[in-house]
Amino acid sequence: MTALATRAEQTPRLRARTARRRRFPVGRSFVAFVLLAISAFTIFPLIWLVLTSIRPANTVFGGSFWPTSVTFDAYVRAWNSTDFGLHFANSLWITLATVLGVVIFASLSGYAFAKLRFPFKNVIYVLLLATLMMPSTSLIIPLYLQLKSFGLLNTQVGLLVLYVSSSAPFSMFLMRAFFETLPDELIQAARIDGSGEFQIFWRIVLPLARPGLATVIIFQFLQTWNEFIYANTVLQNTDELPLQPVLFGLVGQYQTDWPTLCAGLTMSIVPVILVYVWMQRQFVAGMTLGAVKN
Amino acid sequence: MSTSSTLRAGVRLRSRSGASLWKLQRSERVAGYGFVVPITVLFVLFVGWPIVFAVYLSFTRWSGFGSPTVIGVDNYTRMFSDPVAATAFWNTIVFALVTTLLQTVIPLIIAVLLSNVWRGLSVVVRTLLFIPGIISFVVSGVLWKLIYDPNLGTLNNLLKSIGLGAWQQHWLSDPALVMPSILVVSLWGAVGMNMLIFFAGIQGVDPTYYEAAEVDGASRWQQFWYVTVPSLRVVTAIVISLNLMNGFKVFDLIYVMTAGGPNHASEVFGTYLYSLAFGSTAGSIPQLGYGSAFSVIVMLLCGVAVLVQIVLSRRASR
Repeated sequence: MTALATRAEQTPRLRARTARRRRFPVGRSFVAFVLLAISAFTIFPLIWLVLTSIRPANTVFGGSFWPTSVTFDAYVRAWNSTDFGLHFANSLWITLATVLGVVIFASLSGYAFAKLRFPFKNVIYVLLLATLMMPSTSLIIPLYLQLKSFGLLNTQVGLLVLYVSSSAPFSMFLMRAFFETLPDELIQAARIDGSGEFQIFWRIVLPLARPGLATVIIFQFLQTWNEFIYANTVLQNTDELPLQPVLFGLVGQYQTDWPTLCAGLTMSIVPVILVYVWMQRQFVAGMTLGAVKN
Repeated sequence: MSTSSTLRAGVRLRSRSGASLWKLQRSERVAGYGFVVPITVLFVLFVGWPIVFAVYLSFTRWSGFGSPTVIGVDNYTRMFSDPVAATAFWNTIVFALVTTLLQTVIPLIIAVLLSNVWRGLSVVVRTLLFIPGIISFVVSGVLWKLIYDPNLGTLNNLLKSIGLGAWQQHWLSDPALVMPSILVVSLWGAVGMNMLIFFAGIQGVDPTYYEAAEVDGASRWQQFWYVTVPSLRVVTAIVISLNLMNGFKVFDLIYVMTAGGPNHASEVFGTYLYSLAFGSTAGSIPQLGYGSAFSVIVMLLCGVAVLVQIVLSRRASR
């Protein structure tokens, strides 16, 4: 990270020197202008979303872009009429349970693949790795049937099992890369001191892997919170649905009540924005690490 | 734990007798399996077996009741005479290729521009561009559906207010415009993430390369083309492969925005197999076999995307 930071500082300085020598300040302001225009285009739909959610219902169509008066009625309506609290809670517990499950499975196995020696290790590793990127679109039919035969169809536990099993291998891969950077001597020394294998993992290795864990946690939180196809297929009972399929259902229901629809959408992205803002640095580091190590 | 105690421990390990060393290794093996077995069991049950099962189902006809009837490759040959399958094929391939092209080139350009501007501005722009990438496809799909609404949508209103009323379109219900309209939403969501990957890659380029290029009198454009682009080959291979894969398996965004309509104009493999298996209309008989054949094709296409990455990275490191 430090190496990255110093390089990050050096490169623009060098470029700045080049720019000065070529007497090209106009070019630089133009670039800044282009970037700001792109940012404005990118963020515009989201600003529109929030603005629409705080408009009085009768001024949505044909009014000016900026609302002349502000009301939070739509939030109250969205919350009450859709059982928003219940679905929000469903999403939250399913997401947190998935994160916990993935962290447990991925860190245990990531550690074993990185640091322990046992027969067939590479065979199992390659097996997990080969299907790391298996798309949920391709697996939805057999998985539906699989859950049905296990009696887990239409249960939140079934959905949870799908989430953990489909995401754990990728996180295992990240954690393994992380554990590999730790020195072997550390583990050997602990063994000599008489610590059991699990104790070594739990007391010594895991605390050192905190940055890796943070990445896995954020990544998994966002992915699970946003997941749609499994949630929409596995669960039929309305009370058990997490947010995404419910939001999808709102479209037909509130076809003309845009403030309520927009209020619902806005409330659903609050957690991901919070997580993103709160842990932005680890998230970006993890995303790029994950992508680059691929 | 200090270095000296670690060293001492290492010395002690070597001086141990063979028997207790073997015991140590055995406990390591036991722990290794203990740690790896849970994830492997989950994997076999909910990833490995479903892959095998999908391949098997693709050679059968099955409505989900009774047992599947094996019909050989009929599902695959049927695709050639199914006009919806043809639409889904072209839509999927074109969507994947065009999104890959745009979602690689545009983020690369933005990342290069970003590394040339004042640092504060760069942080702000990076943060803003990334936000659409953390929002679910359901939310972005619904949001853009409202924006594209032909009568009340912001896009048409905006065009009218700036005097381009003639450009107003039925963005999602015109068969010729529906795929490009969805493509814009995909691009909107993907630029930030891919830009960050490129940006991190650019930060990792050895600055002495640029110094050397400058000494040799290379222009900014030449520096970009002969230093930045070749240094980013591995990163570019990853971005291309990820985008290809996301394009081949696209489902959420299209399902939410159009469900493959109007009249299958935006059908892709993902939406088509879903409607075959889980039914877009009530009362239709599930076609799990035919649907699974498309599942297998999506798997194969994603395999191709992985191969593309391997080939491109190999060539880059040569």
